[in-house]
Amino acid sequence: MATTSSPDVRRGGRSILERSPAARRADPLFRGILTGLAGLILVLIAFFFVFLINKAEPALSHQGVFSFLFTNDWNPSKAIYGAWPLVAGTLITAFIALLIGVPVAVAAALFITELAPRRVRGPLVILVELLAAVPSVVYGLWGFFVLIPKLKPAEQWFTDTFSFLPLVGGNVAGPNYFIAGLILAIMILPIVSAISREVISTVPADLKEASLALGATRWEMIRMAVLPYSRSGITGAAMLGLGRAIGETIAVTLVIGNSPVLGKQIFDQGYTLAAVIASEFGEAANDKVHAGALIAAGLVLFILTLLINAMARALVRRAENKGTKVKAVPGGLG
Amino acid sequence: MTALAQLTPRRRTTDRVMRVVLAIGTAIALIPLIAVIYYLLSKGLGAWSIDLFTKDPTGNFLGDQGGIKSALLGTIEMVALASAIAIPFGWGVALYLVEYGRKGRFASTVRYFVDVMTGVPSIVFGLFVYATLVLSGWGGSSFSGWKGSVALALLMLPVVTRSAEVVLLLVPDALREAALALGTPRWRVTLRVVLPTALPGLITGSLLAVARAAGETAPLLFTAAAVNGTTFNLGERMNSLPVQIYNDVQSPSDALVQRAWGSALALVTLILLTTLVARLASRRSRLS
Amino acid sequence: MNPRIPLAALAACALATSVAACGSSDDNSSSASTNSSSAGGSSVSATLNGAGSTFAAPIYQQVGSDLKGKGLTINYQGVGSGAGVSQFGAGTVDFAGSDPALADADKATIKKGTPVQIPFALGAITASYNLSGVKSGLKLDGATLAKIYLGKITSWDDAAIKSQNPDVQVPSTKITVVHRSDSSGTTKGFTQFLANYSPEWKSGPGVDKDIKWPVGTGAKGNDGVAAGVKQTDGAIGYVEQAYALQNGFTFADVKNKSGKYVAPTLESTSAAADGIDIPEDLGISTIDAPGATAYPIVSQTFAITYADPCKAGLDKNKAAGLKEMFTYLLGDGQDTIKKLSYAPIPDSLKTKDQAAVDAMQCNGAAIGS
Repeated sequence: MATTSSPDVRRGGRSILERSPAARRADPLFRGILTGLAGLILVLIAFFFVFLINKAEPALSHQGVFSFLFTNDWNPSKAIYGAWPLVAGTLITAFIALLIGVPVAVAAALFITELAPRRVRGPLVILVELLAAVPSVVYGLWGFFVLIPKLKPAEQWFTDTFSFLPLVGGNVAGPNYFIAGLILAIMILPIVSAISREVISTVPADLKEASLALGATRWEMIRMAVLPYSRSGITGAAMLGLGRAIGETIAVTLVIGNSPVLGKQIFDQGYTLAAVIASEFGEAANDKVHAGALIAAGLVLFILTLLINAMARALVRRAENKGTKVKAVPGGLG
Repeated sequence: MTALAQLTPRRRTTDRVMRVVLAIGTAIALIPLIAVIYYLLSKGLGAWSIDLFTKDPTGNFLGDQGGIKSALLGTIEMVALASAIAIPFGWGVALYLVEYGRKGRFASTVRYFVDVMTGVPSIVFGLFVYATLVLSGWGGSSFSGWKGSVALALLMLPVVTRSAEVVLLLVPDALREAALALGTPRWRVTLRVVLPTALPGLITGSLLAVARAAGETAPLLFTAAAVNGTTFNLGERMNSLPVQIYNDVQSPSDALVQRAWGSALALVTLILLTTLVARLASRRSRLS
Repeated sequence: MNPRIPLAALAACALATSVAACGSSDDNSSSASTNSSSAGGSSVSATLNGAGSTFAAPIYQQVGSDLKGKGLTINYQGVGSGAGVSQFGAGTVDFAGSDPALADADKATIKKGTPVQIPFALGAITASYNLSGVKSGLKLDGATLAKIYLGKITSWDDAAIKSQNPDVQVPSTKITVVHRSDSSGTTKGFTQFLANYSPEWKSGPGVDKDIKWPVGTGAKGNDGVAAGVKQTDGAIGYVEQAYALQNGFTFADVKNKSGKYVAPTLESTSAAADGIDIPEDLGISTIDAPGATAYPIVSQTFAITYADPCKAGLDKNKAAGLKEMFTYLLGDGQDTIKKLSYAPIPDSLKTKDQAAVDAMQCNGAAIGS
């Protein structure tokens, strides 16, 4: 009678661990729903593409794809849609944004990770991220009413003094490429800085300590151990900033002047692909070709940002895989 | 033993100079923040009054300009609907990626495209909704609040998904395995064990997406348009705070410009409060 | 924490909001009931959406205020005459505001029904400037204005300006030209005036709602140009008079067709309508009017909708609302117009306008209200 009693696992002829037929269907159903949602994302993106291309078609066949991208004549009232001034404006402002924003962001990232005292680190991180909490329209408001009037004298002085430089010289317009680039630089600071910080903190401690042990100064350690190691990651961060900069609409349209004529110097007014969509969609409501041209501009933006972000994430992921810490999340968490 | 390199004065100076340069760089990064906050407070606080928050914009050319009530309410309504769409959707996709898909090819493809979708400019989403829903007159009227919500939801979706995925990955496998070992069906493990554990982090990520959506202008410009009156009907045009600011900025009227500053301060405050709540929620997390 | 609660709450929210949204997907059904239609004795209750001319935006906004007590809600967005006509043709708004009359090309794009355009006000396009020390009344003629906008005259103390103003001390400030960046009826009126006095302008930038500007800063809407002029010392911009007055601008006396320098006033604006030709479709133009006392840059403005709104897809209430709004514009609204510094239309035009409004139909039957 001294049998080890196993728990009574049978009830009504069935194991209590066994599930009813209805319950058995719940798992695949649940899984199916979630898989469906995931698949829906792919469907959405495919639909995006197809739809945008379809709606852009009237303009692209009217103008020709190559001509659309490279003709320097944006004149909707004459049904001419050469978007080169817009493309160039987008590239110019993004370039200025990177030129100003990346060094500052990387400097901040280096300072916070390597040089700042521990107690200051947290607040500094929060402060830099607060820049991301300010919405685009508020940057536009601030840029339009504060930056433009305050910087005009300095811009005028700069353009008078350095007029021998290419792309400098002439009349300083209130809203111009430079101000737009400057505002974009401020807007990309948080993301470039955050990703750079993550990348820099994955540099293995032994590498840094070895360099210090060999007598390097702090700066030399940064220059010889940290920077080379995180170079591709920082490049990735800069590219994410670039992606953000070319897509920014409202802040840019308020401070760039919205002139469809390609400016000749950085203090001229200009236009970007994103700004033209925001400015002209109202007029294009009933004009399939004009609307198509704007959608084509949107399509160019879409493709550009897809490519840039894809490359950026590949670079950042590669940089992070060198270290062993948990991956950072590009895109604003943290 | 090899001697260490001499710490020449030149090296020491370079070190000092570069330290200062990096510190200055950090300070430069913070100057815009201080400047924006300073101007928001100095110009915006003056516009804050009971009237600002309780009256609709009148649109009058002369005389009383009213307040921003319809804009505030519109933003809240549209963001609420957008969240109701994007958050369950995003959590669902993240759950799939973490619980079922893992490293599979389909999951990797989805993950890749979600990643890449975070970089798409908000105006492209607006344009997409404009072309599909507004111009075709879907649902009876042209511009509607719910169409603005759809555009915002598209914007929020990749952010919610990505952040949710990161948080769900932090849930230890041991928890899942223990529950499974007790005979809990898979779906119940997900809903009753994984989700509650990750909830604070999920909420943080979602609230950050909400904060971002609240500040977006471009998608709303051509989906919800703008009206003066307050409406609770999402099937009609709806005002929103960012669009109201955008319109007021371009006005020559000093009263409207001041209202724009006041509204901007209100918007930034709203976003900061949401971000603060998000951070507080993550403090309650049992993970990391 | 029970995870079902937040999920359930979210689901409930989604359900509630979607029910609210679906429950009234037509524009008029519920909004009609939220308006107090009792006071004012009108039985029409509707929401009208319009867009277009910023030139006339002050009028639409004020009229909207006037008619709110009568059950009509008018949502008007000043997006420029070009965008207004475009959105009207696309069906996203119920009526459009446009300063220039509908050209044949425009009419061809309005496919939902035959449009009817009602000119209901005249306004002066001022040449406003921001010049410290110089009061209103600087004398400028068309040729000079054209040269300024062509970039040929770049500073305020240019000989051409000084010769017209021998008694005025003009500073040597650089001229900053401000113009429209959007498709604008005000632009069309202004460029029409310039083209009449400058062959170089006529063959160059030409006359249109949206042209390639040789020089200057672009801004959106009359309000944008006003803001641009306000911000820069030495700026000159063309803005409708209401905006100039609202911002305390100084503006020029412009030489008219008879050779006199005229300031924009109610009288000189009204005088521009004297003796104009009224075509069949009411598409008048008052630019460069021949009258001796007329201000030369006066623009008309039209309210445009369908002759038969119901056939075009709008419902009965909206059709009635549109008729009521247009009748108001031609009736008591003319006083509102004067208060905003626009000139009312002459009686000869008013009778023809009213006839066109009375002829508006709903699916073939007259609109009773």
